[in-house]
Amino acid sequence: MLDMQGISKIYRTDLIETHALRQFSLRVEAGDFVAVTGPSGSGKTTFMNIAGLLEDFDTGRYQLDGTDVSGLSDAVRSRLRNERIGFIFQSFNLIPELDIFDNVDVPLRYRGFSRRDRAERIASALDLVGLRSRMHHLPAQLSGGQQQRAAIARALAGDPGLLLADEPTGNVDSLMARQIMDLLEEINEMGTTIVLVTHDLELARRARRNVHIVDGQVSDFWSLEPPAPGLHAGLVPAMMAPA
Amino acid sequence: MNWNLRPILVAIWRSPTGALLVALQVALALAVLVNAAGIVQQRVQKVGRPNGMDTPNQFVVAVSGFTREFDYTAMLATDLAWLRGLPGVVAASVTSAVPLLDSGSSAGIRNAPGLKAGRQANIFEMDEQGLAALGVRLVAGRAFSAEEILPPAQGNQALPQILLTRALARVLFPDGDALGRQVYDPLDRPITVTGIIEHMHGNWVDWDKLDHVAIVPRVPEGPQALYLVRTRAGERDALMRRVEEHMATSDPTRLLLWVRSMSSIERRAYLADRNLAIFLTAVTAALLLVAALGIFGLATYNVAARTRQIGTRRALGARRGDIVRHFLLESSLVTTAGATAGVALALAAGYWLSVTWQLPRPGLLHLSTGVAAVWIIGLLAAWQPARRAAAVPPAVATRTV
Ligand SMILES: Nc1ncnc2c1ncn2[C@@H]1O[C@H](COP(=O)(O)OP(=O)(O)O)[C@@H](O)[C@H]1O
Ligand SMILES: [Mg+2]
Repeated sequence: MLDMQGISKIYRTDLIETHALRQFSLRVEAGDFVAVTGPSGSGKTTFMNIAGLLEDFDTGRYQLDGTDVSGLSDAVRSRLRNERIGFIFQSFNLIPELDIFDNVDVPLRYRGFSRRDRAERIASALDLVGLRSRMHHLPAQLSGGQQQRAAIARALAGDPGLLLADEPTGNVDSLMARQIMDLLEEINEMGTTIVLVTHDLELARRARRNVHIVDGQVSDFWSLEPPAPGLHAGLVPAMMAPA
Repeated sequence: MNWNLRPILVAIWRSPTGALLVALQVALALAVLVNAAGIVQQRVQKVGRPNGMDTPNQFVVAVSGFTREFDYTAMLATDLAWLRGLPGVVAASVTSAVPLLDSGSSAGIRNAPGLKAGRQANIFEMDEQGLAALGVRLVAGRAFSAEEILPPAQGNQALPQILLTRALARVLFPDGDALGRQVYDPLDRPITVTGIIEHMHGNWVDWDKLDHVAIVPRVPEGPQALYLVRTRAGERDALMRRVEEHMATSDPTRLLLWVRSMSSIERRAYLADRNLAIFLTAVTAALLLVAALGIFGLATYNVAARTRQIGTRRALGARRGDIVRHFLLESSLVTTAGATAGVALALAAGYWLSVTWQLPRPGLLHLSTGVAAVWIIGLLAAWQPARRAAAVPPAVATRTV
């Protein structure tokens, strides 16, 4: 699904160069549920942005679904984001002027689906997150947890193979966080690959795999099942059992 | 193609204040533009209409006798002989009035005896070089000869002949040729029409019968005299200086009042029209600029305020072109709302202006051109902010809290 080899990303400002990722390699298999942890500033968001085609990288190779994404035009990258990737953001990023229905509709309109198609997808996505009865509410009329569920519906309505969630529970209370995690597990069980960045180790432990990033590199990871042989060439990970 | 119109409209609807203000500016600018365009067009046409004369090569001299020894007839003879003898002078005539110079007389000319009222005509008294000095074209008949020029009017003297402009001849004789026909003065005395002038303007630029002019063969009354002088092309200015120098001192019994070119007289006559056109154009341009700045400001504000939203849309699959279109569409909706209100306002203002001031009502052409102009201005004003929106990187979605 996602295969990064030796990726580096350097942010240059007038005075300083920040090596956000250095020789970063990671593979995520289709259907996997990977939780990414690491200290603040270690490069988690940078990794997610590159994985989600929101940002370019400087060196290395990245294949998404077997396609080498370096050198793709902005229009093609936009289309790949639209069709293959669902994003969930820490601060939900719902459009405040639009009701929940129209928010979920945003990526579907860019996709060019017919009106009836869109209405069906919106209804079933909102069903999944339990917000169908709230579809004509504005984001501000919903709680944080509900808003994040609406954002999940928006990410899923286009049936992406890959769901990228950067600290989706960072702005909600712990009860809501567990509900969102339940929802993500359910979604993963239906076949969607998920990469989740979180600070909450308890939540991270519920994923199939954990990846820990320190200083722009994968420092270690564990997995519920042993990875297929030869998948992680170049990495020397310490295998750890779930605590 | 999916224009994504509804969500944009909904978004405007939910926070309408800025959009309303800008739409109002657009409406106001359009209403003024449409009405001013009609008035300006009318004034420009008025200022530019032909007066039938040889304006660039004409000037006028005004003199006035002021001592007891002053002899009006002798002065005319001397001055005209001198003027006509000047190399470069094509013709010179004494005249009772100067076209486009706001002082002259009119009289009712009848096309049949016994009528109570006639057709109002601007009357010019000129001599045998009158037509040549005016530089107007005779389309029928002949000019006056020297022997036909009558001395200054004593009481109510009868006139044997008269020249009419074609416009005046047409209203007097709508059935056909006026040449050789009789017109009648207020005392019912017949006057023969001996010539038809193609076109010329009289004294009052705001009179709707400005081209209803009649020329009679008579020396105007003194002691003031106006000489209309026509020169060869390019020699006017030199001759004006020469005439001014000479006439200031040639005859101590009279004063040289002024010497003015026909061009400057014409310019002065249309000054108010020209100023109105310039003023209205400037006001309209200013209002359009304000509206354009409003559209630009609103779009710039929207782009700045929604940076994260733009990044999110990009993350969700919007291409740069989708973002440009989003903001141009949003801006166009505001312009369209403003233009719709503006058309209504323009029609209402036009109705009021036409009733109160008899000004021309804006036509369909003015309205549609105005709407198109406002629309294009709106698109141009929103263009740069829309481009800036498209340049917002998608990573903003995850980097902005
Ligand atoms: N646009 C940027 N310009 C400069 N430095 C950046 C930019 N984005 C991130 N960084 C830096 O890159 C490093 C990794 O950032 P990030 O991936 O956001 O870390 P995390 O998400 O793990 O907190 C940090 O040192 C951060 O300051
Ligand atoms: Mg981060």
